[in-house]
Amino acid sequence: MSTYVYGIMAASHPSPPEGMAGVGDPPRPVRVLKAGELAAVVSDAPEELRPKRRDLLAHQNVLSEAGAAGCVLPMRFGSVAPDDATVTGVLTERAEHYTERLRALDGKVEYNIKAGHVEEAVLHRVMSENPDIRAQAEANRRAGGGSYDDRLRLGEMVAGAVKAREAEDGAAVVRALTPEAAAVSAGPESTGWLVNASFLVDREAAARFLDAAEQVRRDMPHLELRVNGPLPPYSFVEPGPSEPAASTAGADVGTG
Amino acid sequence: MTVVPAETSGGGGGTSGLYDVLELVLDRGLVIDAFVRVSLVGIEILKIDVRVVVASVDTYLRFAEACNRLDLEAGPRKSPGLPEIVGEVTESGARGKSKGALSGAAETISEAFKQGRSEHSEEGEARPRPRKATSSRRREEQE
Repeated sequence: MSTYVYGIMAASHPSPPEGMAGVGDPPRPVRVLKAGELAAVVSDAPEELRPKRRDLLAHQNVLSEAGAAGCVLPMRFGSVAPDDATVTGVLTERAEHYTERLRALDGKVEYNIKAGHVEEAVLHRVMSENPDIRAQAEANRRAGGGSYDDRLRLGEMVAGAVKAREAEDGAAVVRALTPEAAAVSAGPESTGWLVNASFLVDREAAARFLDAAEQVRRDMPHLELRVNGPLPPYSFVEPGPSEPAASTAGADVGTG
Repeated sequence: MTVVPAETSGGGGGTSGLYDVLELVLDRGLVIDAFVRVSLVGIEILKIDVRVVVASVDTYLRFAEACNRLDLEAGPRKSPGLPEIVGEVTESGARGKSKGALSGAAETISEAFKQGRSEHSEEGEARPRPRKATSSRRREEQE
């Protein structure tokens, strides 16, 4: 029986509620495997695991529940060990590394920030900023909308200006929130937002971070800002070469 | 009254932020080489779906049409986050008012149509809402 792994935590960490629903249909009950100072939150792995909404949510819910009581290193969805012994083996073998990560992330949570333009507001903005666009729009309007080529020309100008604004606004959002975060990581690519970034925030400082996000909303009313959190520190578990990705955060601008 | 929560709790309650969280579940988090990562068919589709192609003829025409509708004299909306009614009050004259109301209605219909189409294709798999729905999400918040 293979073992599905949700996350890694300290052995002293309170266990998630008895029989909590994990992945699979019917949901496999969640249990805890301990090895020395560390523990893994696991369940039996379903035979055919697919990225179903239900299973993704189960993964997230188990981690949220466990994470409410303290730091848990979240696994990426779909991590399956051949058996329980492999899991405890990994915990023992890499105890030092995971203990260090738990210590580094202790008391910290992830907030994911996404922003998109409110279309009408950003169009207004690029038109008011750009006389050429305004002139072309006015000419088109007078011509009852303009020819196909006229409309295409206007649209291309506008799209270019909107793209430029996306880059500027994305960078501005990251700049405004970075001072309230311990680390920043660019979100998964190709998601089509003008900014998609995760911020590692001290639980104690979460209110300040959220205030800063509110301030961004007020300062940039042409943006729709989405704040998701507190989340398990998905984007900060591995101190790989790409993280903390403060330098690349905000680079996920535009969509091309 | 529909409220899109600005913040979903860690409990993964609301569905509005569902995709925002799921992409992290799928794309971030610890990977341990001693474990197998289950082959997750469907994830590529999820990624492609969310791409918005700005540089396309369709977008150009949509932008051009939207710009034609915009009332330049009204100036940039100071607070798009505020309820529609407040926006209308700040517009000057009856012309601005009726115009705003008209184009607003047209937008709502076309967005409802777009949304209907995109939700139609949604089955059990996790799927993001396309970004085109930005302004309809905003509208949900206002109501």
